[in-house]
Amino acid sequence: MAEMWISMGPQHPMTHGLWTLKVKVDGETIVDADPELGYLHRSVEKMGERRKYFMNTTLTDRLCYASSTTWTHCYALSVEELMGVEVPQRAQYIRTIMLELQRLASHLMWAGAYMPDLGHITGALYFWRDRELFLNLLELPSGSRLLYNYIRIGGVKRDLPDGFEEKTERILKLFEQRLDEYADLFENSKIFRMRTEDVGNFTASQAMNLGITGPNLRGCGTKFDLRKQDSYEIYDEIDWEIQTREAGPGYGDCFSRYMVRIDEMKESVKIIRECFKKMPAGPTMASKVPIRASGDAFRRTEDSRGEALMYLVGDGSDRPYRWKIKSPMFTTISACPHYLKGYKVADIPSIMGSIDICIGETDK
Amino acid sequence: MEITKFMKKLSSHKGVSDVALIRDNVVKLDLGKEDSKDFFISLKEDYGFEHCSLISAIDNQPQFELVYHFSVIEGSIFIKDSPKTVMIEIHIFLERDTPTIESVSDLWFGANWHEREAYDLMGIYFLGHPDLRRVLLPEGFAGHPLRKDYVYEIHEEEW
Amino acid sequence: MSSKRIGGNPSLRRGLGSKTTDSEKIMEDPPAGDWLALRSDQFLKWIDNAVYNAAEATGMREVVDRVTRPIFNYAQRFSPHPLHFGIMCCAIEMGQASAPDHDIDRLGLVYRSSPRQCDVLIVNGPVCEKLRPKLKTLYEQMPEPKWVVAMGECAISGGPYWDSYSVVAGADTFMPVDVYIPGCPVRPEALMHGFLTLQKKIREKEPGLFLRR
Repeated sequence: MAEMWISMGPQHPMTHGLWTLKVKVDGETIVDADPELGYLHRSVEKMGERRKYFMNTTLTDRLCYASSTTWTHCYALSVEELMGVEVPQRAQYIRTIMLELQRLASHLMWAGAYMPDLGHITGALYFWRDRELFLNLLELPSGSRLLYNYIRIGGVKRDLPDGFEEKTERILKLFEQRLDEYADLFENSKIFRMRTEDVGNFTASQAMNLGITGPNLRGCGTKFDLRKQDSYEIYDEIDWEIQTREAGPGYGDCFSRYMVRIDEMKESVKIIRECFKKMPAGPTMASKVPIRASGDAFRRTEDSRGEALMYLVGDGSDRPYRWKIKSPMFTTISACPHYLKGYKVADIPSIMGSIDICIGETDK
Repeated sequence: MEITKFMKKLSSHKGVSDVALIRDNVVKLDLGKEDSKDFFISLKEDYGFEHCSLISAIDNQPQFELVYHFSVIEGSIFIKDSPKTVMIEIHIFLERDTPTIESVSDLWFGANWHEREAYDLMGIYFLGHPDLRRVLLPEGFAGHPLRKDYVYEIHEEEW
Repeated sequence: MSSKRIGGNPSLRRGLGSKTTDSEKIMEDPPAGDWLALRSDQFLKWIDNAVYNAAEATGMREVVDRVTRPIFNYAQRFSPHPLHFGIMCCAIEMGQASAPDHDIDRLGLVYRSSPRQCDVLIVNGPVCEKLRPKLKTLYEQMPEPKWVVAMGECAISGGPYWDSYSVVAGADTFMPVDVYIPGCPVRPEALMHGFLTLQKKIREKEPGLFLRR
């Protein structure tokens, strides 16, 4: 049968953002794929060179619209490494709480976007309903729903408001009950498993070479989480486990990626609870934050989607000389010919939805 | 292999200089352009750096600098009594007139699009790259905007 | 006359036999014989002749317009169908506005994935040079009447990316914009207010003509 190219995007219900996927099909089977990016290239790296170090947090907030705190945090961490700033203990705890709340919101965003891909509109509404709870929580200390600009270089903007712990606890309790309900609705649903199991498989060694990190790599059974492997803030003082799927038939497929994210949400709830228990009193901002820096430094963090890395070069002025952003999704999308090959056209939404695409960070 | 032993072994490679530990799990070194490919092959095959984290290009005026970050995920290099995994930061300097270097995308597929991006935004040519074309900017865009001498119009004056 | 007819399903043509002879007498336009088999440009020509000219000549247009205008205007302003198209942050808030907490569907909004089925284009993010021709195409693919909502600072003026080399300074530099919703990002409440503003605009500015040429 003749092979032909099908183009999807940039406006396509499958794409979850602005990108084009061209697939070469032989009948219904995918033979080759060619992703195309750049519809959202805002030149953040070049703009960062014209702004002062502390101004750039507004840009990093807008890097990834589903998980803005983690990117601002990665930037703040890199700048602190460059300038040698020591962050107070309480600020580190608050940062960890905010990061985990953001991870919950981001994973819920992903789940809410993934369900309509599989034809499950009810699932989207359920997950978005829960995401609203966490957006309200994140709004309390920061004053904004989506882009918080709460983590600053040297600490956080302000202390947590009164009654934040009680409100969080109430919502976490409700959320845990709902996650148990969803287990019946999704994981135990035969239709959901038929769409996701044994679809989009890749093995751990493949994924490492392809540059896939984060929940997608952990879905293959690799215990690699930068919160443990390159620990930052107070993740090494807290008792938590890396969530992976055990090796077996069909591991590394869409369903295992789904399960890793659901388990990660449960783990995040645990981390937040423990942070509140251990949180000390004290200042939330470093006493002295320099505005100039020289030399180069980088830090990597575990973003909701994988390994985020920011590499900064300073030339002694108050603006970065070069600012390089590594986005986990950039390489994951580049590898899509490898894990799309051999599957049917109808599997594309299921596979591309399961890797949790965010084009904002990818196109920079 | 312990990280200190690994650092000692690194210094014996050809073209490698200034091996230093910049954080408890990050090794930094400078590498000559000519010996880069041999070093990268042994980095992957002998030391087990499975993952290419990032390739950044810097315009140092006049020369270019390429910074490679590789990391171990399940490899054999470790730090004693620590769960941290090891990273390596490699600096390679290129002349402005000949910004070319051998591609590593045949070793790490994850480097493929990083190299394309470095070509797109900074104008570095990777020899042997399978598909070196613009990735973020539209085809037909003039110039490489992340170079320091790239001039473009903005709507207002700088504050 | 029948020899000039273009192709089509012969059985359909036979079924419509008695009706075609009537319209042929009025219209004097050969291919209008069986309107089911017409191409779209021929259909438009036929509808111009058969309906508009006839209505204009007999004075029926005034009557029909007066009766249908409020109905069509009502339908247009209470069921805007925006394009399911996300660019950046505001797209997340657009999705969140449909979630149970805000439930923007009660304003009649139904997101459609094909531009052919839509009448509102929400530009919810920065328009880059690479995206601009595609967005223009999407706008041109939408049928009339259509409206454009610029959602958020980026779509209004470029917003935080004002000094970027690849971001266009606002959506209104290359397409007409009807409603501007400020915010970075726009809250769901603001999006609702924007659509209420659009309703107001449709009621005042768009007569909702049935027999428009």
